[in-house]
Amino acid sequence: MAESKAILDIAHGVPPVSVSQTSTRVNKTGSWKYIRPLYRDRVAPCNQGCPVGIDIEGYMNLLREGRVDEARDLVLRENPMPATTGRVCYHPCESSCNRASFDQPVAIHSVERMLGDMALGKPAAPALEKRAESVGVIGSGPAGLACAYHLARLGYSVTVYEAESEPGGVLRWGIPEYRLPKAILASEIGRIRDLGVTFRTNTHVGRDVTLAERGMHDAVFAATGVHQSRELGIPGESLTGVWRGLDLLRAVNAGERPQLGKRVVVIGGGNTAMDCARTALRLGAEVTVLYRRSRNEMPANHEEVEAALHEGARFSFLTMPVEVTGDPREADIDPLRAIEDTFGQFDRSSEDPRVSAVLCARMELGEPDASGRRAPRRVEHSEFRIACDTIVTALGEEADTDYLPAELHGGAIRVTALGETSRTALFAGGDLLEEPHTVAFALGSGKRAAIGIDHYLRMKAGEAGADVELGELKLGPDGNLSMTRWRADDPVARVNPVNEVVRVTDLNLSQFGHARRAEDVLRPAWETRHDFLEANLGLPREDAMAEARRCFNCAVCNGCEVCLIFCPDVSISRRDDGKFDIAYDYCKGCGLCAAECPRGAITMTREGL
Amino acid sequence: MTQIPLKEIMPHEEFLESGHLACPGCGASLSMRMVLKALGEKTVVALPACCWSIIAGPYPQSSLKLPLYHSAFETGASVASGIKAALLARGDTETTVVAWAGDGGTFDIGLQALSGAAERNEDILYVCYDNEAYMNTGIQRSSATPLGAWTTTTPGAHPEARPKKDILAILAAHRIPYAASATPAYPEDLLAKVRKAKATKGTRFLHLLAPCPPGWKTADDETIELARMAVRARIFPLLEIENGETWRITVDSPGDPIGPYLAKQGRFRHLKNEDIGAIQAQVDSRWKALQRRVAGS
Ligand SMILES: Cc1cc2nc3c(=O)[nH]c(=O)nc-3n(C[C@H](O)[C@H](O)[C@H](O)COP(=O)(O)OP(=O)(O)OC[C@H]3O[C@@H](n4cnc5c(N)ncnc54)[C@H](O)[C@@H]3O)c2cc1C
Ligand SMILES: Cc1ncc(C[n+]2csc(CCOP(=O)(O)OP(=O)(O)O)c2C)c(N)n1
Ligand code: SF4
Ligand code: SF4
Ligand code: SF4
Ligand SMILES: [Mg+2]
Repeated sequence: MAESKAILDIAHGVPPVSVSQTSTRVNKTGSWKYIRPLYRDRVAPCNQGCPVGIDIEGYMNLLREGRVDEARDLVLRENPMPATTGRVCYHPCESSCNRASFDQPVAIHSVERMLGDMALGKPAAPALEKRAESVGVIGSGPAGLACAYHLARLGYSVTVYEAESEPGGVLRWGIPEYRLPKAILASEIGRIRDLGVTFRTNTHVGRDVTLAERGMHDAVFAATGVHQSRELGIPGESLTGVWRGLDLLRAVNAGERPQLGKRVVVIGGGNTAMDCARTALRLGAEVTVLYRRSRNEMPANHEEVEAALHEGARFSFLTMPVEVTGDPREADIDPLRAIEDTFGQFDRSSEDPRVSAVLCARMELGEPDASGRRAPRRVEHSEFRIACDTIVTALGEEADTDYLPAELHGGAIRVTALGETSRTALFAGGDLLEEPHTVAFALGSGKRAAIGIDHYLRMKAGEAGADVELGELKLGPDGNLSMTRWRADDPVARVNPVNEVVRVTDLNLSQFGHARRAEDVLRPAWETRHDFLEANLGLPREDAMAEARRCFNCAVCNGCEVCLIFCPDVSISRRDDGKFDIAYDYCKGCGLCAAECPRGAITMTREGL
Repeated sequence: MTQIPLKEIMPHEEFLESGHLACPGCGASLSMRMVLKALGEKTVVALPACCWSIIAGPYPQSSLKLPLYHSAFETGASVASGIKAALLARGDTETTVVAWAGDGGTFDIGLQALSGAAERNEDILYVCYDNEAYMNTGIQRSSATPLGAWTTTTPGAHPEARPKKDILAILAAHRIPYAASATPAYPEDLLAKVRKAKATKGTRFLHLLAPCPPGWKTADDETIELARMAVRARIFPLLEIENGETWRITVDSPGDPIGPYLAKQGRFRHLKNEDIGAIQAQVDSRWKALQRRVAGS
């Protein structure tokens, strides 16, 4: 520098005052450290908590960045029907959301619903290459649909056999229109059809075709669900006016509007019972739900119970039906005898008196049973009568697996971690398995089996080894398999990913501000109870986008630069690709970057290891 | 509440170099880094003896990309005033002159020079990074050392017995145009205050809480968390004072109990429950007094 030359002491060649000529960068202060920070993306708990196995954190982050189309495509990689799950899934993901410990969980289902609705009419990415093998799928409920979808996207020819006239399973014939509009379901099934999947409806496997005909297929996925309603097992059950819940829902879903009379009693405390109660209300009845335990033990989803209550259903807890009584028609018996005197005896055996009441007993709760719920006990001499015109039973369903090989009959089917039954090439999923009977588990089991079938067929074709690194396919140690990981084509660039779930204690919550969770817009109950239009309207687009911004983006670096900002040693720099470099020559290993990272994306590791 | 992401408010330019000689996790070096980002290139720093004399690097190195003058322990405010006068003589009205001093150099030995400069309303920005003791010479107490703290001159058996000096009130009493407290744990607040100070003429004073892992006996990675806890617990309220009269709290201090803040620090390890209660009572009464000043202005 000319200036510094000017102040040189001529005699000694040094400045008369000491003026620094170098920077401290000559000191490699990084040698002081004994631990070093490492960018290491982990797994968000919501991803592990989603039975479908969706990269929820990933799409939330894309939405934060305004990359809406990519967010939508990220969902479609794992979930063939986000508009459906956004409406009917009980969202276990939200129960595992880290934000719950801060204020309230992210309304993941509402964001998923927005993405699902945006995806309606949009195709899913087709297979890159076709494969020669074909797969048969029995049953077109969510499990069968998911399996078909993923297999088609992997290049296989898929035929779905469905006993009913239209595909969808419980989504089509069970869940009522006011919770899942059938046009939306049809659109999402259309997307699967557009991938080239063949649907053979009105085809009951076992009756119309046999499993033996699967000779046409290289592998089969069975997902026929549970449809045999459990019986009440009490006198009077077969009287006219006693409906099986599934039959009622299916009739209404077929467009019928059965006359149920004024007073309807629904028996059961599960989701089917709630659907029946809310359907009966819409058919103009007053509804009483009988449940033998208390509200706390109800297996039905909390939101469904709330909705039924708001719409005016009454609940009689700790109540067990002991007998259905028919109309005695006593007042009419004399004229009847007079007619019989003239015209001869009627065939009285076929007489079919209509339900008039249900005789009930009061229950009390005793010790917890095997399920951990307190077991109900009947209270002596507590019988009472509830007058009614119709009874709807909703006591759960069992599977009909007669079409399957004998060794798979009786009880839930057991499958491997890749969905295969004890029969080679025969896979199963959905409600046939001993897993929670939900749409999300069904979709997840279909995807799992699609991976299993792909692996099996590739192994058979000599393209893959027998071993599958299951641990690496799962989203977190306990999550479902990820199709993206199976295909090894993750669009999210991850740094040193490890399959470890980030807990709330790994986050730095100080970097977040409180924000209220957006709640779905509900039509008023006095309005919804009179029609079959959708009752829950979801979130307006902007609110759903804002909700996505409430997400902490746990475990995966989103480039917030908090680490860079708090480094006292100016050792972190941002690269052009948006990732970060740490200058280990200068990083002293203080760990502030890791401590301040809001999402636990940096791990301190021992130096030299 | 929608937060503006930090990366959008933090200037990218760096005036602090790597390889400086601060301890790992040093709050003083991070403070300098952030303050200079807000001040920008046209800045000169006058530095009395303190840890930063070391952090700046031995001759012929410097860890700042800006001019920095080393000077004597008691002279921070005078040297800065002199540099400002020299710049003005050369016709430079733009450059901000900063006196950057520790708590010892501010609360104790430099107070006379600071008071004189403030009284004359010298056009300087005086920044005190407060690590609550003479750290450079090995953790001796200063009048900024908080009640109950261990230092080498206030050992565990006789911990600091006097409350921390209220330096902001002293500066406010000089009726200087701007005085404020800040910490790197709240970067948005810190940047705003530095910018405001830069834009103000006359003597401006910033009091920064700068946790010191070796001196406080804390983990290297807790520097920011500790500063945050101090603010939340009302031990170090974030405020600004204009013309000695208008007092304003800039970041809400919810009043977390002080126990967890003290418990994190080895320098408070000897405290018994009743000591903690006494410190809490003092924090509470100081907070009340502050509330009164804020309400009354
Ligand atoms: C009324 C009701 C409401 C529900 N609401 C919800 C909800 O809101 N959220 C939720 O997560 N879960 C809900 N569930 C549970 C959820 O619907 C099921 O867990 C899920 O549908 C199971 O999917 P699946 O594919 O195994 O079987 P299913 O959906 O039952 O589909 C099986 C399909 O196989 C067909 N099939 C059966 N046998 C044969 C055969 N031999 N040949 C050919 N086809 C055959 C059936 O016709 C049917 O279409 C509800 C269930 C019911 C009954
Ligand atoms: C007149 C004088 N006395 C003593 C010293 C020794 N000395 C150098 S730095 C320092 C302590 C400074 O303490 P503080 O101002 O709090 O800054 P810190 O080191 O804590 O950053 C002392 C006592 C000195 N340089 N000059
Ligand atoms: S905050 Fe976001 S990433 Fe974290 S668990 Fe909740 S939804 Fe998932
Ligand atoms: S904050 Fe900087 S110095 Fe500290 S560990 Fe991280 S990179 Fe290293
Ligand atoms: S602080 Fe932000 S930028 Fe740094 S690792 Fe964490 S998420 Fe990524
Ligand atoms: Mg000090």
